[in-house]
Amino acid sequence: MTGLAVDDAAWASAWRRRSPGDKLLLCTGLVLCALVLPAWPGSVLVGAVAVALALGPARVPARTFGRAVRWPLAFVAIGALTAVVSVDDGLGWAPEAATRAGSLVGHALAGSAAVLLLATTTPMSDLLPALRRLRVPAAVVEVAGVVYRLLFVLLESLTTIREAQTARMGHSTWRRSWRSTGLLAAAVLTRSWDRARRMQEGLAGRGLETGLRVLPEVLPSSRAFVACSLVGLAGIVSASLAVA
Amino acid sequence: MHIAEGFLPPLHAVGWTVAAAPFVVHGARAVVKEVRERPENTLLLGAAGAFTFVLSAIKLPSVTGSSSHPTGTGAGAVLFRPPVMAVLGTVVLLFQALLLAHGGLTTLGANAFAFAVVGPWAGYAAFRLTRSLGGGLLPGVFVALLVADLATYLTTSVQLALAFPDAESGLTGALVKFLGVFAVTQVPLAIGEGLLGVLLFRVLTTNARPELERLGLLRPTVEPIQEEVR
Repeated sequence: MTGLAVDDAAWASAWRRRSPGDKLLLCTGLVLCALVLPAWPGSVLVGAVAVALALGPARVPARTFGRAVRWPLAFVAIGALTAVVSVDDGLGWAPEAATRAGSLVGHALAGSAAVLLLATTTPMSDLLPALRRLRVPAAVVEVAGVVYRLLFVLLESLTTIREAQTARMGHSTWRRSWRSTGLLAAAVLTRSWDRARRMQEGLAGRGLETGLRVLPEVLPSSRAFVACSLVGLAGIVSASLAVA
Repeated sequence: MHIAEGFLPPLHAVGWTVAAAPFVVHGARAVVKEVRERPENTLLLGAAGAFTFVLSAIKLPSVTGSSSHPTGTGAGAVLFRPPVMAVLGTVVLLFQALLLAHGGLTTLGANAFAFAVVGPWAGYAAFRLTRSLGGGLLPGVFVALLVADLATYLTTSVQLALAFPDAESGLTGALVKFLGVFAVTQVPLAIGEGLLGVLLFRVLTTNARPELERLGLLRPTVEPIQEEVR
């Protein structure tokens, strides 16, 4: 358990051993379909396929998937409502407000479901090497790798310190709560520096000279998975264009 | 406040990615140079990124009883400078999209422009201006975090207004709508983050003075040379 439900789901997913490249192909395809195809039936198909694959073959817990969708849902609902309200002499609905709002919500939810399919089946440590193939400098990928590894340590520190503060009445009043929050942020920052310094000393002792090289885990690509992904994406595109 | 996946039209998503790219590439070059010259700083930069991610997970106490989360980029800009934050902010946004479903992949460019470019640069400019006008470290930090937050929120509102202009009143009307709707959460958050920054740096000036001196935020204290007692 890492403390982040989506990351936990990714490590426990039935698709964990599938090639990250295969999953990127499928999910990027779904994300692009959600973005460019008409909301009806494109977004509906993308959303249905992403949810069905996540809850079915990838065996992602429905609760995790549902809870993760709540984040974008709040923004999408407020944003879509604001976009279709018209302000001139007073408040009113813009022309074809319902259609526009439905289209916006459809594109956003389908795209979010496709991103979540990738996020709940592929740990970040599998995705970061893919950034190298996108010509992101090795140094930046290394820094991103350290961020991924350190953030769980810091999140654990954050939870522990906050619990200790609460137990010592650190959040009993508004004033104390602010003071405790400032101390919490400072403690997390100094711990991150301390942790980085100790790791650097440990690695220096082991001859850190040319970067943090680690042996990548080899997860072979599946021709059947790639073929099914391409056929499925082509099916979504064809169905959307035929209906629209 | 990050724009959700699929919310922006394709042309806008591409346009904002192109707009953010030079700043992120410039920052990436700074990171590559730093890591090449001092490989050990990979870990310090990673720690800075992890801190920015974790800072955005800290709940700020709110008068209304609800909670809001700081962006963390203003503090990062003061501590580590805006070019580095353009990269670290983009990495943090990618992690937020894939670990928290907050933001998105096609909207990464637009969110990076607001959160990792405009916010840190505006915050850092406000910090330098306050310091050059004779303001102390803590007032400078308050202004930097407040401005970074407000600049991020303003930029996101402009991005949304450009994507969805109002049917009657056009771009201006749309901007007023988005600014008004998100002001309810973003303006108190900006003030709250400024206050958090003051509390954070007040503790750091006591507990982590050597680190702040190394980052150039405080002048090194000169130890008084004691005369040899004969």
